[in-house]
Amino acid sequence: MKTKLLLIIMGFILLLGAIGAYSQDEEIVVMDTSAFENTQRPASVFDHDIHNEMAGLEDDCAICHHVYDGKTLVEGESSEDSYCADCHSLSKTAENDVPLRAAYHKRCKSCHFETNKGPVLCGECHKN
Amino acid sequence: MNAFIDFITGPMVWISFLIFFAGVFIRVFRLAQEANSKEKFMFSYFSWKYSLRSIFAWLVPFLPASTRQSPVFWGISYLFHLLLFMVPIFLLSHIVLLEESLGWSWISLNDSIADVLTVLVILALVFFAVRRLNVPEVKFLTRSSDYLFILIVALPFLTGFLAYHQFFFYRTMVIIHILTGELMLILIPFTRFFHMFLAPISRAYTGSEFGNVRQARDW
Repeated sequence: MKTKLLLIIMGFILLLGAIGAYSQDEEIVVMDTSAFENTQRPASVFDHDIHNEMAGLEDDCAICHHVYDGKTLVEGESSEDSYCADCHSLSKTAENDVPLRAAYHKRCKSCHFETNKGPVLCGECHKN
Repeated sequence: MNAFIDFITGPMVWISFLIFFAGVFIRVFRLAQEANSKEKFMFSYFSWKYSLRSIFAWLVPFLPASTRQSPVFWGISYLFHLLLFMVPIFLLSHIVLLEESLGWSWISLNDSIADVLTVLVILALVFFAVRRLNVPEVKFLTRSSDYLFILIVALPFLTGFLAYHQFFFYRTMVIIHILTGELMLILIPFTRFFHMFLAPISRAYTGSEFGNVRQARDW
C-alpha cells in the first residue's frame, strides 16, 4: 500500500516536472532591465532568436550590437560580448549622448519604422 | 500602418504646433489691430503692473471673491485646468517620445499617479457637461458646439487612459489618442479654446482699468 502511494506521488512529481519543462517553451522572453532604476512599464517582450529569424538578421549582429568611436560607427566591428548599458548610461554623458532608455527605443523603433514592420507603440512591447 | 504612425507622431506633431503658434499669433495680432482702430483710448491707461496683478490674483485659487461664492465649480475648474497641462507635460510616455526625437527630457509623473489624475480630468469634464445640462443660467448660454468641445478635450484623456491599460483595440486607441491631441492643439486658436490666451488679455484690460482708472481691485 505504501509503495503504491509512493509511486503515485512520484508519478505526480514527474508529471509536474514534465508540465514545467513543456511550458518553458511557451515562456514569454523579456528584456533584461536590471540596468534601470525605478522601472514603470513591464519589460519589453523580446525573443532574440525568433526576432532575428523573422527579421532575417542572423548574420548581421552589428545592426544592433554596434560599436561607435565617439560619434562615428566603426564598420565591421560588433559588440555581442558587451551589454548595452556598458556604453549607454542612464543619463547623457560626455562620451555618449544617447541614454540607455533612448538607445533601446531608438534601436527598435527606427528599424520597425524603416521596414514598416514590428511594434512601434508603447504597449506593443511593454505588454501589461 | 507603421508609416502612418510615423507620420502622426513625427511631421504631424510639428504641423500641429506650427498651426497652433501661427494661429495664436494671427489672432492676437488682429485683436490688437482692432483695439487700436476702435478703442485706442484703452492704451492710455494700460499698465503692466495692474495687468500682471490681476492675472496673478485670478491664478490663486479662491482669492477672487466671486470664486468663493461657488467653491465646488471653481475648485473643480482650477484643478481641471492645472491637470489639463500638468498631466500631458509631465507624462513619462510623452517625455520618452521627446527624448527620442529631440534628446530633451525632464522630471516625470509616476505612471500610476498620472493614471489617477487622468481619471480626475475625465470626471471634471463630465461635471462640466452635466452642469451645462442642468444649471439654468449655464444651460441658457450653452450651444451644442460646447458639448463637442468637451468631447474633443475628453477624447485624448479617455483614449490615453484606455491605451495605458491596454484593455482593447490598443493600436486604434493610441492612434485616436494622438490624432485628437493634435486636433485639440490645432483648434485652440480658432475656437473657444482660445480663452487660453483671451483670459489673460481680458484680465489685463480689466486689471488696468480697475487699477489705473477706478483705483480698485478687480477680484
